[in-house]
Parts: sequence; structure tokens; C-alpha cells
Amino acid sequence: MGMRKVAVIGAGMTKFVRRALETPKELSWEAAKMALDSCELTMDDVDGVCFGTAPDAFDGVHMNGEYCSDGAGAWNKPFMRCFVGGGTGVFVPIQGWYHVASGLFDVVLVVAEEKMSSYYPHAQAAFLTIFDHTTERPLKPNLLWIFALEMNRYMTTYGIRKEDIARVSVQHKRNAANHPCALLGEANITVEDVLNSEVLAWPVQRFDVSPVSDGAVALVLAAEHVAKRLTDKPVWIEGVGWHLDTAYWTNRDLAYPRYVEYAAKMAYDMAGIKEPRKEIHIAEPYDPFDYKALHHLEGLQLAERGKAIELYLSGAAAPDGDLPICPSGGLLGVGNPIAAAGLMKVAELFWQLRSEAGARQVPGQPRRGLAQAWGDLMQVGTVIVMGR
Amino acid sequence: MTLLERDREAPSAWKGSLPVTSRYTYGLAGERFFRALKDEGKILASYCPKCDHTYVPAVNFCERCLSELTEWQDAGLVGVLHTYTLLFVDFEGQPLDEPELIGFISFGDGGIIHKLDANPDELEIGMPMKAVLKPQKERSGSILDIRCFQPVNK
Ligand SMILES: [Zn+2]
Repeated sequence: MGMRKVAVIGAGMTKFVRRALETPKELSWEAAKMALDSCELTMDDVDGVCFGTAPDAFDGVHMNGEYCSDGAGAWNKPFMRCFVGGGTGVFVPIQGWYHVASGLFDVVLVVAEEKMSSYYPHAQAAFLTIFDHTTERPLKPNLLWIFALEMNRYMTTYGIRKEDIARVSVQHKRNAANHPCALLGEANITVEDVLNSEVLAWPVQRFDVSPVSDGAVALVLAAEHVAKRLTDKPVWIEGVGWHLDTAYWTNRDLAYPRYVEYAAKMAYDMAGIKEPRKEIHIAEPYDPFDYKALHHLEGLQLAERGKAIELYLSGAAAPDGDLPICPSGGLLGVGNPIAAAGLMKVAELFWQLRSEAGARQVPGQPRRGLAQAWGDLMQVGTVIVMGR
Repeated sequence: MTLLERDREAPSAWKGSLPVTSRYTYGLAGERFFRALKDEGKILASYCPKCDHTYVPAVNFCERCLSELTEWQDAGLVGVLHTYTLLFVDFEGQPLDEPELIGFISFGDGGIIHKLDANPDELEIGMPMKAVLKPQKERSGSILDIRCFQPVNK
């Protein structure tokens, strides 16, 4: 297709916290600056800026992309904000990728930010306004409902037990204990803690859910000739994919995420991957809820339908297993500032593939990793495959 | 620990609001769907013969092929319980006085999410559920003209 090779050459990330003192643009700036410093570039080297943030309502500023643009380094540059809800964090590097792959730019700064603590009293209420104003909103739905309905359908379809699903939350929160930016790392959390936590919307309990958080993440992408000049450890973007399911929530197959399957297939084809379970060495599936990591692993073809839980029960998903899942700690452990959380997963692949992940480095020098996010009106899948 | 727990150490903040009020229309399909619900007590479906796909609530175009949908049908008041949840917090994260049952009732390929009137223990995914409508005089052309769904054998 005549596309150029694109590498990630730098990454930066703020701490994920419950309420940051920093404004959204300050968070964006902190991450952007760290990413540039990590590869010793300045804004003079950057040709264009891609920015991702989810609903404007969280930060409480309409056209939040424009508001944050200075923090993201957009002054005097071509600038574009993307927004596919929760899928944004993995879509924004895809957008950066095609800016470079197309030959338009050599170096692109990719920034994702979310400050959910601004919404009062709780960010859940912001989600009320994403539903259809006539057919759904009079019932005052929120995302907990939607997830609870889907989780129940998923569990019932395959006969999966809640105490097994809780293992996902335990694994991710334990992994996060080794992440210096994590909000909810818990080295000693147990399945009992998850099962004893407050019931929000059965079968969803407090510890099945990732926390609302504030934070930002940034990456620097470069064309091959620039990347090779600047680093001897480029991490290549080998495949990207995104896909949309029906706009009507009630017309979807809740037990299986087709939108993830199609997005993954697009990315696998581009990366030349035929057997994902063998060719992907670490995976960062989107895990705003514990069952959702399982759901997505199945859509990603990394497990058969209804069988993803076996990766956790067998130990394969652990950091020292043969397919470490969310070694970062995921959204469940690191935190869930929506767009930033997705990009955090891509940054994690960058650090893991370069063997720079510190205490949470997985053994065996993984060669290839995958990150995935999900969002919009819960029907978009975004996938990126990276390798060294 | 509750959903609304606050951190005393958090930085100081003040409250402001985005003053946005909207005036929505029902749309071409909504006008017809909600009139049928209000005046005739019917739940309407629309069908795409090209894609063999049904939409409930009815819409006036098929998202798959963008054909205009002219085959509207009465979907009946009985659907199937596709999944459900028992809610303990409201949409702002505040604990509810009484837990509330919410279900997804499927009608063919589509469906409606609504309140359930049932004992949670008697619910089973796959069971038939019937819409309970408000009396005709009280209906206003809203999804809340359906009061709730309950098991058919109740
Ligand atoms: Zn059609």
C-alpha cells in the first residue's frame, strides 16, 4: 500500500490520581514534555500533534481538544483531536500512525488526557447524556447498568462463575502494585476482597470496576529514517485496526464483541499475524471491568469464546506466564482516565518491548505486543500491534 | 467504601456548571413509534427485507444498507429476557433506598431496556416478559408509557 514504517521512540505518563491539582492542559503538558525528553527531542522536531480526550463533559470544557491544545504542544503545528469515547486512547496513536505512514509528517506527538474528577458529584452521571434522548434517557441509565447487563449475559451464556472473574481484578491490581503511576495497585488483594466489595449493580461490585481518575500519557512517533537515527530501540507499529458495531445497543451480541474481532483482524492482517495466540507475547486488552478483559481477549482471538478465564486460572496471564495480560496493571489497577488509560496501554507495550518496565518487566524479552480499547456508544474496537 | 467517597487530601476546588438545555424532537420514526405507543398501546418494529433485520424500537432507515424502512409491524407486548441487573446505586452513584431491577427485553433482533417488576430470584434469562403499559389517559408519548416489564406468568 506504499505505507512507511512508523516507530514509537518516546513515551511519558503522569501519575493517575483521584483528583489532580493540575488542569487538563497542565496534565497534557506534563506527559508531552516527558515523552519529548525521553527521546531528547524538542517541539522544533515535531511536525504535527494528535490529541485524544473522551467526552467533553468530564473535563467540563466544551471543545476540550482546543482547550488542551497548548499543553499538548499544538502551538504553530497541524493539530487534530480524535474522539471515539473509551476507544480514544488506542485510536489516537493510530491517527498519529497514519499521519506518519502516509508520508505527511516525519515526527508526530501523540497526547491523551482525561480529568474525570471535574464532573460532580460523579463522572457516571456524564454518561447519562450519551444515550438516546427519547428511547433511553428517561430511564436514567448509566454505564454501570450497561456493563452489568452485559456481564450477566456473558456469565450466563458461558456459565462463568463470579469468583473466577474476580481473579482478573486481583491479577491486574497486583500487577499495578509495581507501577509507579498507579492509583489502585494492591499487592495483597484477594478474590474474597473483590467478592466482599460493595454491590453497585449486580453482578458488578466495586472492585470489578476501574476507578475514575485524572491523568495524561504521551508518545512520540517517528518515520523509519528518523527513528533509526534517534534510537537503537525503536518499537514498530506493525498493525492497526478499528471497527464499529451497530449503533443500537440492543441489537448487539452482548456475549461476544464482534467489533473487537474485526478490529483485531484488520491489525493482524497488516502485521502478518496468522496465529495470534502464538505470535502475540503480551496483551493489554481494555479492562474497565474485570469481565471486559475476558470478553475482549475472546474478541482478540487470544482465547476461545467463554474460555479466556482459563488464561487466568492456569497462570498464563500472570507476568511470568506465557501470555502476560495487562502487565501494567490495566485500568483496574493503574486507573481509568478514559483516553489516557488507553494510551497508557500502548506506552506499556513500548516500555515492555524495550525491557524498560522496571519492577513489572515481564521475563523472556517479549518481541510483540497488542493493546486494545473499546468505547463510543460501547460499539467501537481499536487495536494496535507493536513489535521490536 | 462508597462510589462517592471523597479524599480529604484532594486539592481545593470550586463548583461551576455548563448551562446547556436541549429541546429534542422525536424524529420521523420516533413520531410514529411513540404515537402508536400512546394512542394504540403498541410497540412497533421496523423490518429491512434486504438485510432480514428487525429494529425495535422502530427506526426509519436500516443502518446496514441505508434503505428506507417502510415495513412497520406490531412487535406485540411480549419479549424475551435477554439479561438483567439489580441496581444498588443511581446514575450519580448515590445509594438507592430500594434496589431496582433493570432488564433488556429482546424483540427479534432489537429490544428495549426497561424497569422490571419481579422478584429477582424468579428471573431467568430467556423467560418471556410482558410490557405493562400505563392507562391510555396517562400516556404522554414517552418510553415511560411502558411502566415496566414483568414475567408473563405473574
Ligand atoms: Zn438493510
